[in-house]
Amino acid sequence: MNPVLAIRGYTLEYETAAGPRRVLDNVSLAIDPGEVLGLVGESGSGKSSLAWAIMRHLPGNARERGGAIEFDGENLVGMDRKRMAAIRGRRIGMVFQDPATSLNPTLPLGRQLTEVLIRHRRLTREAAWREGIELLRRVELREPEALMRRYPHEVSGGEKQRVVIATAFACRPNLIIFDEPTTALDVITGARILELFRRLRQETDVAGLYISHDLALVARVADRVAVIERGRILEQAKADQIFIAPTSDYTRRLVAAVPRPERRLTRDRPGPSPVLAARGLNVYYSRARLFGRREATGARQISLQIRAGEILGLVGESGSGKSTIARGLTGLARFGGEILFAGRRIAARRDMDSGYRRAVQVVFQHPDSSLNPRHRVGEILARPLRLFGGSVGDIPRLLEQVRLSTEYARRYPHQLSGGEKQRVAIARAFAAKPQLVICDEITASLDVSVQAAVIELLLALKATHGTAYLFITHDLNLVRQIAHRLAVMRQGELVDLLPVDALTSDRAHPYTRELLAASPAPVGQETSSVG
Amino acid sequence: MSDVLRRLLRTPQGALGLAILAILVAVCLLGPLVAPVDPEKIDFLGRFNPPGGKFWLGADQLGRDMLSRILVGARTTLPIALAATLLGTLSGAVIGTVSAYLGGRWDEAIMRTIDAVMAVPGLLLALLIVNTLGKGSLNAMLAIAVAFAPGMARVTRSVALTVRQQDYVSAAIARGEGSGWIVFREMLPNVIAPVVIETTIRVAFAVMLFATLSFLGLGAQPPAPEWGLMISEARGYLHQAPWLIVGPGIAIALTAIGFNLLGDGLRDALNPRDER
Repeated sequence: MNPVLAIRGYTLEYETAAGPRRVLDNVSLAIDPGEVLGLVGESGSGKSSLAWAIMRHLPGNARERGGAIEFDGENLVGMDRKRMAAIRGRRIGMVFQDPATSLNPTLPLGRQLTEVLIRHRRLTREAAWREGIELLRRVELREPEALMRRYPHEVSGGEKQRVVIATAFACRPNLIIFDEPTTALDVITGARILELFRRLRQETDVAGLYISHDLALVARVADRVAVIERGRILEQAKADQIFIAPTSDYTRRLVAAVPRPERRLTRDRPGPSPVLAARGLNVYYSRARLFGRREATGARQISLQIRAGEILGLVGESGSGKSTIARGLTGLARFGGEILFAGRRIAARRDMDSGYRRAVQVVFQHPDSSLNPRHRVGEILARPLRLFGGSVGDIPRLLEQVRLSTEYARRYPHQLSGGEKQRVAIARAFAAKPQLVICDEITASLDVSVQAAVIELLLALKATHGTAYLFITHDLNLVRQIAHRLAVMRQGELVDLLPVDALTSDRAHPYTRELLAASPAPVGQETSSVG
Repeated sequence: MSDVLRRLLRTPQGALGLAILAILVAVCLLGPLVAPVDPEKIDFLGRFNPPGGKFWLGADQLGRDMLSRILVGARTTLPIALAATLLGTLSGAVIGTVSAYLGGRWDEAIMRTIDAVMAVPGLLLALLIVNTLGKGSLNAMLAIAVAFAPGMARVTRSVALTVRQQDYVSAAIARGEGSGWIVFREMLPNVIAPVVIETTIRVAFAVMLFATLSFLGLGAQPPAPEWGLMISEARGYLHQAPWLIVGPGIAIALTAIGFNLLGDGLRDALNPRDER
């Protein structure tokens, strides 16, 4: 059988101010008809560059240094624009990471879907519309007729991604490239999208290239998996084999870094006294206008308690109000109800004095936006020291604490990697000598090996300072490794609050069990029954 | 600061812009010394003399030497245009950032006031202010600054709203920083790029606005060799003596180009992400 896609010795470089940078180095891959190849790599490994090389949509500074990309026996490298335009979208489809940005917000969904049909399958407008409705029905969307007329902002993220998938399948392509299609979705929606994908594959027998950083996901979706590191393919094997018996050290390290709920990382018990308690907490997000205010409640009637040295995990789907709680507790959003802290009752934002601000620190999700790009690391760390007492001479010690060398104080945030930025953010939080640190999805945008290192750092800091954490995440496997107790949120309400070892027992709320079932089983030796 | 200058010189636009501005500064400082004749000396035999010979850039309707007038006029024109622009854009930038930071009702109130001010055309507003304050160069400068501030506030606010959403601002609020620190140290440095660019574009407008005010008799007073005033006075002799407009026109254009190039260079040099 001839492969649909065969990449042979493909090498790609980017021309940069600092000289050429090699992003793909002698890559060879083959995908047979009906086969799904998973491509796993961390950020910067060149996996997205490969996708764009196949689609022939490379940036202006890309230089191809040899090799061939053969699609159905034709070499795509050097193919003229016109012939490529007939292949792109028609015979090779693509599904992007973020459905929010891959659909045009000014066109109804129907227009975007039928455009492909009219252009590539030469259907009339009416026929395309009918076919579009049929396609939406096939991706299990309810009321496809009404959906065709809606705009992207009127439907949910999961629905948008289904429309994108429907568009990709519309012309019955031979190959579909998936670039992290579920990363921007929450666990349960993502799991349903994967199920849909599996069904569509059986029906259409399309070949796929599935790009992801998530090992468990790739192992579930793909037939074969290739591991890519810094532009080199390290190994390829069957999906059910590769993570159980990896041959390269790199893959072995990746597998070891995957969070595994049964491997507990915390063994201590939290202290008896509460650091902070919330009673009937409502957090609002609003925008006061000149006349009246529009207000919505992001979290309703939350009551919880965090004890000294405790790690309380806060989980839920996106939009469930997890981050809203963080915003309420740090005084970034208006709240009702009360917060009890150090024997004091805090009922409004103005009650949060400097003592409270010092004791409760927050670390945000996106390392890129949590550090001011125009301040050096030294200045960033100096602020809390100046505000809460401490000398600027402590900066080297703070940096050492988060395992960065002292010369980092002179650098700007853009000179650091994502993991290093997050370390600086953690150092900034600990500069205030806090009693509670709220970690809002702090590892969500990091690679799995970096995540492991950050978690290890957090636990080490907790061991020295006895800090409590409110650990907000959507990754159940991760939080089960470190949390003492778990709080589960759904649609702004706290549905469950239980010790982590009771998670699998009958005490757990049905929704908690649903979340647990949707979270992917970690790859590796102990759980070979993946899939 | 020397770091920014070094990076500025490394960009072609920055280096060229800086060179042009250096010439202009030199003219401002040394103009009267290098001017061939007294800019206000009237020579009836030389009226409307074309460029060349005795008058390098020609002579005007009173036979005054254009080159001398341009050289000396830089002194009246440039500092006032520059000061007016800086004052206007800086106050506008601060208003815009503060408005975005406060949000809610304050934002509404500030922005609606600004809308009201913007509804009055800039020139009319400037006229109104000069009429109230009395005529003269200093008041004209203030009027131009006031006319510029609202537009700048709008531009800055739109950028500041995005910056307001960034986590580093949230982090500053969460640790209880004062409003002054957040506006001036966390937000303002991150909205500076569009402000700098807008400022450099507006310097040329300021020259023209000042010229208009002078023409109406509210800014510089004749016979002062102010560039805008020179163009205004020459407009009646456009067909007989086009050089009367060309000379000061080129001077104003050169100023505008110099500042625009400097703005482009500064935008790159002020960006710490830029590794060149």
